[in-house]
Amino acid sequence: MKDMIPVDRKMSTMQDSKISARGVQVYYGETHAIKDVSVEIADNTVTAFIGPSGCGKSTFLRCLNRMNDTIDSARVSGDILIDGEDIYDPRVDPVQLRAKVGMVFQKPNPFPKSIYDNVAYGPKIHGLARNKADLDEIVEKSLRKAALWEEAKDRLDKPGTGLSGGQQQRLCIARAIATAPEVLLMDEPCSALDPIATAQVEELIDELRQSYSVVIVTHSMQQAARVSQKTAFFHLGNLVEYDDTDKIFTNPQDPRTESYISGRIG
Amino acid sequence: MSDATTDMSGGKSAPAAHGSLLSESPLMKKRNAAEARFKMYGLLAIVIGLVFLIFLVVSILRNGLPAFTQTVVNVEFTLTQEQFDEAESKMLKTAAYTEYFVNDVTQTLQQRGLDVDFDGDTIERVMGKVGGDLRTFYRENPDQIGQPVEFELSAASRVDRYLQGQLTRDMVVDGRFLEVADLDLVDALAEAGIIGSAFDWNFITGTDTGVDNPGGAGIGASVIGSFFMMMVVLLLSLPIGVAASIYLEEFAPKNRWTDLIEVNISNLAAVPSIVFGILGLAVFIQFAHLPQSAPLVGGLVLTLMTLPTIVISTRASLKSVPPSIRDAALGVGASKMQSVFHHVLPLAMPGILTGTIIGLAQALGETAPLLLIGMVGYVAREYPDGLVSGLLDPNSAMPAQIYTWAARSDEAFFEKAWGGIIILMIFLLTMNIIAIILRRKFERRW
Repeated sequence: MKDMIPVDRKMSTMQDSKISARGVQVYYGETHAIKDVSVEIADNTVTAFIGPSGCGKSTFLRCLNRMNDTIDSARVSGDILIDGEDIYDPRVDPVQLRAKVGMVFQKPNPFPKSIYDNVAYGPKIHGLARNKADLDEIVEKSLRKAALWEEAKDRLDKPGTGLSGGQQQRLCIARAIATAPEVLLMDEPCSALDPIATAQVEELIDELRQSYSVVIVTHSMQQAARVSQKTAFFHLGNLVEYDDTDKIFTNPQDPRTESYISGRIG
Repeated sequence: MSDATTDMSGGKSAPAAHGSLLSESPLMKKRNAAEARFKMYGLLAIVIGLVFLIFLVVSILRNGLPAFTQTVVNVEFTLTQEQFDEAESKMLKTAAYTEYFVNDVTQTLQQRGLDVDFDGDTIERVMGKVGGDLRTFYRENPDQIGQPVEFELSAASRVDRYLQGQLTRDMVVDGRFLEVADLDLVDALAEAGIIGSAFDWNFITGTDTGVDNPGGAGIGASVIGSFFMMMVVLLLSLPIGVAASIYLEEFAPKNRWTDLIEVNISNLAAVPSIVFGILGLAVFIQFAHLPQSAPLVGGLVLTLMTLPTIVISTRASLKSVPPSIRDAALGVGASKMQSVFHHVLPLAMPGILTGTIIGLAQALGETAPLLLIGMVGYVAREYPDGLVSGLLDPNSAMPAQIYTWAARSDEAFFEKAWGGIIILMIFLLTMNIIAIILRRKFERRW
């Protein structure tokens, strides 16, 4: 499909923009959850979405790999382009999209299967491995990237649910990168983790930036400041401000952003 | 918030209002008493339940266990070649054998100083058609002629009950089943020690008999009937029920139609089973012309009855699979079907299996629908001789058999009915244990 519309790609406004959302509106039934959000997300960058609870940052994140399709009452309008292709085009199969846009969820949710099977599942269903050796390699590479290989290599056949919370979340990250995605979405990946595990995951996110475009939703402003290069502040369904992380935290333009990061609203 | 805090810290009388912690305040006493009372009620309810259960089990065992034993007469009997030839040349051949037997028993009793007067008819009333049995035996085993052979002959069920004390002499009315005088022979046999009791395999493996032979009735054929019905129920209701639930739970859009279907399924589970019976009679027998009393029809009717149970329990267990697993599967790019079949269904499996087995157990014990399709009252005199005949030939089923026995006028059948209940309970218990084992085995630890 990439070859079919090469014109679109060149028309992309920003040269290094991986995802561009234009005028995105999301409704849950009658509730207007996302109000006219436009944002350009660059490749090989960590972009953080911050904002108070219920501001729509997770909703917007779930639009980027069409996970909102699973909610019956959700309606999405506007354009979201990844590499210049509209992901809400009727020709797009969300299943194929999700192989390209991986996701890590708030609560670690490994499959109740072995560590190996957890990581190997994605490559298996997408036919990424031709034989067992290929698959072994993918599993090892993914676990190494997720900084879990050293801890898990001797217990690959043990259930993934038997790992600690931080290890489980890294396993979920390994599972997400095993399908060789180009974008990695993370929905508050550290909210269920202790500070040590959080530090490990944050370090990992920074490394993942080399190969992926990472979008992370977080409640913690410190985390956003630590890991991201770009930050978007959402409030009541609006994208209030989107800029370089340094700028957002040191010199916010909007008074609402300033109130939030200084702890007055939220 | 802030107002409340100032109030609390500002009020200097606050500690006094609470009084000493070492004594219970009147309100606390009331609350504790209420709690103790509630515990008592709960305990009482459990005790009452247990008492009923014990009462049930004891009465079933007390009444039913005699059905598994039978009174047997052990007689050593020798037939000479001349006797055999003579009997075979006679017009009434079995009568001749009976006469030999009468002589043999008389001799045995006389050796022990017991003198009883009886004839072939008495023998037939007490131990059945001995002459015929003997003749069949010697015609099949001619090499045994001339040698002493130990015969174990089962006594009539009335003799059974007489020896157990359930039947007394003054209760016996002379008739073709038993005469008071016959009991003299029974007493003599008991005194001589050649009458005893043995485990009655015939009750488990045998087939039903007519109303005049309670002793020979067995539940075996109806166990087979129940088995074929359960096979039909399992093969139809499990795939249909699980497929319907998966569709409704995972794929169907949530709209007025699916709501309507959902309400209907819940209501179907509460429909009295006899309604399914009459539906089966109308549809399967009168419309589709399937044979009456056939386990296939019974199975179809019970499938209708079991389906809602399976659908409801399957949907409940699909619902209980955490949505995070579905998200995880969809998140790595699994299709809807892959996420259901690779992840959701395996996790829902223990619940589905438990629901299915409980549905099957319910169907196994169901009598009312079988009434209407002719399985109750059918006397299952023989075993089916194959798969097709097992499905299509008339047969009875365990609960139908129990009902039939309990409805017969001859009191001797009551014991059989109780015994049948024990067998049915064993089956139900086994199924429930299997359900528990399966659930343990498939259960995933989180």
